[in-house]
Amino acid sequence: MSLLQDAKNWVRSRSIHVAYVDVGSCNGCDIEILACLAPRYDIEQYGIYVHNNPREADILLVVGAMTPPWVERLPALWAKIPAPKAAIAIGNCPVSGCVYNRRETYILGPVAKYIPIAAEVPGCPPRPTEILSAVLAVAPTVFRDYEVNRS
Amino acid sequence: MVQSIFWYLKEFLRGPWIHAFLFAKTAPLVTPSYFREYPSLTEKECTHCFTCRMICPAPGAIEVLQEGGTWHPVIHRGHCLRCGLCVEACPEGVLASGRILQWQEEDRTSFAATFHIQVDHATCMRCGNCCVSCPVNKEQDPQMASGGHSANNEVIMKISSGRHTVIHEERCVGCRTCEGACPNSAIRVARVVEGLQGVAEG
Repeated sequence: MSLLQDAKNWVRSRSIHVAYVDVGSCNGCDIEILACLAPRYDIEQYGIYVHNNPREADILLVVGAMTPPWVERLPALWAKIPAPKAAIAIGNCPVSGCVYNRRETYILGPVAKYIPIAAEVPGCPPRPTEILSAVLAVAPTVFRDYEVNRS
Repeated sequence: MVQSIFWYLKEFLRGPWIHAFLFAKTAPLVTPSYFREYPSLTEKECTHCFTCRMICPAPGAIEVLQEGGTWHPVIHRGHCLRCGLCVEACPEGVLASGRILQWQEEDRTSFAATFHIQVDHATCMRCGNCCVSCPVNKEQDPQMASGGHSANNEVIMKISSGRHTVIHEERCVGCRTCEGACPNSAIRVARVVEGLQGVAEG
C-alpha cells in the first residue's frame, strides 16, 4: 500500500494540471502566464499543463481584481475542481485590488474572501519565474500524502 | 538512401543526445540585478518628507513609519507595482531598486510637484479626521486632537467655525494620508507632478 502511495505521490508531484481564471484583470498577468508557456520559461518541462477546464485541473490560477459578476461564479468554478486542489492568486489584484482598488470602482476583493487561496504571488505583474516557483512550491505541500492526510 | 538511414541512426543513438532529449531543462533562471525589485532600504537617513507616498501610484503600497526613533519607508507587497517611482522621487536616496539611482544620477532627473486640496463640502461632515491624521499638521500643532480644532494658524487645514478650512495649501506634501482617513471620501489631494531632466535638484 505504501508503495502505491509513494507512486501516487510521485506522479502527483510531477503532473500538475493548471486552470486559470481571469476575474477582471488588465491582461498584464495573463501575458506573464503566457510567457510561462513559451520556450523561455517552458512550464511543461516541470510537468505543469495548462487546461481551461476546471474539472481536469489541480491548481487554479486566479488573475485579476474581483469584479461583481465573479462573486457567484468563482466559488462555483472552484467547486468543480476535483480534490486535491489549490488556488494561487497571481499578481497584486487578487490580493489587494492594486491600482483598481480606488473609490468609484467595483472591486470586491480580495479573492481570498470567496475561495481558499493557497499562495499569493505579488507583483504587477509578477515575473514568470515567480509564478513558476509558486506553482512548484505549492504542488508538493498540497498533493503529497493527500489520502493519508484525508483519513 | 540506405546510407542516410544509417547516418541518422548513428546520430540519434548517441548517449548524450538521448539524455539531452529526455532530460532537457532550462538552466535555472536568475533574476538579473538590474531588474527593478521591491525597493530596498539604503543606509541613508529618511527625513519623512513623504515624497515617496506622494508619487506612489498604487493605493496602500508605501508607508513611512517611525520605529525606535527613526523613520523609514515600508513597502507592502501585494500592493507595490515595482514601478520604482518612489526610488526616483526620494530626495535623500533612502530607497534603491535596480539601476534607477544610477540612471537618475546620469540623466539628472527629478520631480517637481504642486498640490491642491479639494474638499466636497456637501459630503464633508467636519469630523476633522483629515486634519488630525495629516503628518504636517502633526508637526505644526502636536496638540491637535479629535475634532480637528486648533488655535494655531500655521497648520495646513483645520475645522474652524464648523467648516473645513484650508489655510496653508503650499505646505501640503501630497502624502494623501487625509484621503485615507476621511470616512466620506470628501477630501481629495490633486497632485500635479512634473518630471524634470537636466535641472539641478531643489
